[in-house]
Amino acid sequence: MKAAILKLPRWMRQIGWRTVVGAVLLAGIVHITATLAVPLLGPGNAFRKLRETLPANQMVFLPPPTPNTQLLPFVAADALYAACRFDLTSTPVAVSAVLSDPGWTLSLHTPQGDNFYVMPAQQLRRSEVSLVISPASERLVDFVSSRRFSGDDSQIESPVTEGLVLVRAPLRGLSWRAETEAKLRRASCTPVQPKR
Amino acid sequence: MNVVASFLINVAAFAVLAVGGGLGTAWYMMESGSRLSTRTLGPWVTWTTAGRPDSDPYTRAHTSRNALLPISSTLELTYIASTDSNGGRLHSACEYAIVMEDPEIAWWGIAAFDGRGGLIQNAAERYAFNSETVMREPDGHAVITLARDARAGNWLPIGGGSRITLVLTVQDAAWAAASMERGAPKPLPEIQRVACR
Repeated sequence: MKAAILKLPRWMRQIGWRTVVGAVLLAGIVHITATLAVPLLGPGNAFRKLRETLPANQMVFLPPPTPNTQLLPFVAADALYAACRFDLTSTPVAVSAVLSDPGWTLSLHTPQGDNFYVMPAQQLRRSEVSLVISPASERLVDFVSSRRFSGDDSQIESPVTEGLVLVRAPLRGLSWRAETEAKLRRASCTPVQPKR
Repeated sequence: MNVVASFLINVAAFAVLAVGGGLGTAWYMMESGSRLSTRTLGPWVTWTTAGRPDSDPYTRAHTSRNALLPISSTLELTYIASTDSNGGRLHSACEYAIVMEDPEIAWWGIAAFDGRGGLIQNAAERYAFNSETVMREPDGHAVITLARDARAGNWLPIGGGSRITLVLTVQDAAWAAASMERGAPKPLPEIQRVACR
């Protein structure tokens, strides 16, 4: 051991063990801080990239992914997408969509990308789904108008006041493109008006 | 003089070790992952808690840094491959064959991207296949060929002279649960290199 240390360059032999131990401890702190900070401060997450494209509480039919129109990396181009940036600051948001075939999904995401709710097509008895997203602490009963929403609406508590709704519609082939697009365009995202 | 030099060397070593080591290891864990956050099956790597609200900090940082919007891994698993089954890096100058045998999977999709996740420009405007669009052999399996020039059957064009990343998405809650069990993971398709230019 001593021989190995003596073989080190002279400048390295001047580094004290306290320096090494202190640096390793600080490296651990830097490591943890960087890992935790990236989802909160990182400029490149999906929500930030889509935020400018999406008006609040409105379903937007995204352009079919091509090399020139691709909004996010690693998004499969054999599917069409609709997205809504929900903002629950003043009111819950009602979402509905048709999930007709295997592979279709309706998913809710936090700005950090966590998927806190997902509804796939194959587990459904019927293809139409509707749900109301409300803040975790919100009493939905104060908002929902009985005329507009039936008891069939799922009520989803969101851990965040702002996030993304994404509806993915895989294409079954070019012949079905128009039909898939028509079904996807039936997806909606609207603020819930409070009871009067 | 010796004392000053020694002090400066210690300060420099401290800074390099602390900042470089901390940021370097964090970057590695966010980009490549480890056995704590990923699972590797042949050339395929999946982030085991991707999309889940209880995902580990490395997975969450990986998702955010790469602008991904994963579906919860309890329903859908996303496997990424940047090498073939023999460990060679996937490259658009080569031709690859992938055999999909999926009788039990509810839905799957496979797509080719460049090394940064961009779709690969091609005249056929074909970027992916899924379990609905792929052409199958009589026994149910499907062979997908990745090549620069047109091939018969399920041809997925790759061009541009760059590295290739394959993404396999499997949507099936039962399959995902079984794949996450320790011991006997579900088999994934092999990526066989056919030829290179």
